Amino acid sequence: MKDMSVALKFIPLDHYVLLCIILFSIGVLGVLYRRNTIIIIMCIELMLNSVNLLLTAFSVYHSDPTGQIFVFFIMVVAAAEVAVGLAILVMMKRNIDSVDINLLSRLKW
Amino acid sequence: MTFLFYLLAAVAILSALMVVFSRSPINSVIFLIICFLSIAGHYILLNAQFLAVVHIIVYTGAIMVLFLFVIMLLNLNTSNEPHKSQLTRITAVITGGLLLLVLIAATKDAVLIQAKNPADYNIGLVKQIGQTLFKQFLLPFEISSVLFISAMVGAVMLGKKDSKKN
Amino acid sequence: MDSQNKFMPQDYIPIMIQSFIVLGFVLTTMIMTHLLGPLRKSKAKLENFECGIEGMGNARSPFSVKYFLIAILFVLFDVEVIFMYPWAVNFRDLGANGFLDMLLFLGLLLLGFIYIVFKGALKWDNS
Repeated sequence: MKDMSVALKFIPLDHYVLLCIILFSIGVLGVLYRRNTIIIIMCIELMLNSVNLLLTAFSVYHSDPTGQIFVFFIMVVAAAEVAVGLAILVMMKRNIDSVDINLLSRLKW
Repeated sequence: MTFLFYLLAAVAILSALMVVFSRSPINSVIFLIICFLSIAGHYILLNAQFLAVVHIIVYTGAIMVLFLFVIMLLNLNTSNEPHKSQLTRITAVITGGLLLLVLIAATKDAVLIQAKNPADYNIGLVKQIGQTLFKQFLLPFEISSVLFISAMVGAVMLGKKDSKKN
Repeated sequence: MDSQNKFMPQDYIPIMIQSFIVLGFVLTTMIMTHLLGPLRKSKAKLENFECGIEGMGNARSPFSVKYFLIAILFVLFDVEVIFMYPWAVNFRDLGANGFLDMLLFLGLLLLGFIYIVFKGALKWDNS
């Protein structure tokens, strides 16, 4: 118990890669599967988070803090994206009274 | 330690699946919060302690609350969402599974290069992160404030325009 | 092994134990109340007593968009704070240069804040 240190001593990096791939695929599946715009934005958050976890795992593996700095910037981008995305969602609900993504097809040809 | 990793991984994957497949948006948000908490547990296991705390503050404390807020605001909790057709859903599942297979196949034979720095378990602490952030990444840090401004302007423009019309 | 200035994941074991105890307490109480309490659902019992007002509609009614704008701006300023913790810890090491860098960052954010105030996004009553 005394010499228990960072998880990477015991768990190979491959397992982190596998976990992040699975989480990312679930996020992609959610974007394709659901029609509710708010759940699609949530799945995008899930994908960003799986990438964050992978960046952190590699950063700890290489003992290089650069990866963790990138996670901070991804968090900033995620917050900005959520703020603007949810504002668009609220406007969509007010203007066409629905959050169905299939109704936003005006740019489709 | 190993057991804890697999427990947290199982919780994260199961709750992520429940986000996609649960009927009501409120349940999806709750499951996403559980998923984010288990990811914060992973950060603690990796000794990225500052990142874990920031992750809880930003994602669970701010972003997911905003999601819940929007669901309450728009009264979306009734789950009367029209579902996609059966064919589209099956296609979505097949596409997701194929993506998973491709990514696993691509990384299966990858050979890890040896870590170039000696093991240093202090890199996840606030001091180290601050040293790197304010010396090496000063310009991206300053530019991120421009991103903040643009997000603020966007949100205010979208949110204010409507109240003037009414 | 100098465990004096090394912070390890096992420092979090007390927090983990506490959160397990809290979660376990909540879950056991919720399950036990369901198991122990008598379940008698009759029409007369679920009705309002005497002159109570009849319930109607959904309990979760939508509220004003004004709250929403405040919540969005809160998220943006909340994320900004995560950059200030590492700065505060390294304040002495970075010296005057770090102070000026942070001043520039906060000045740009203040620009956004001034925009918000002049646009009237924080005004509560738009009469």
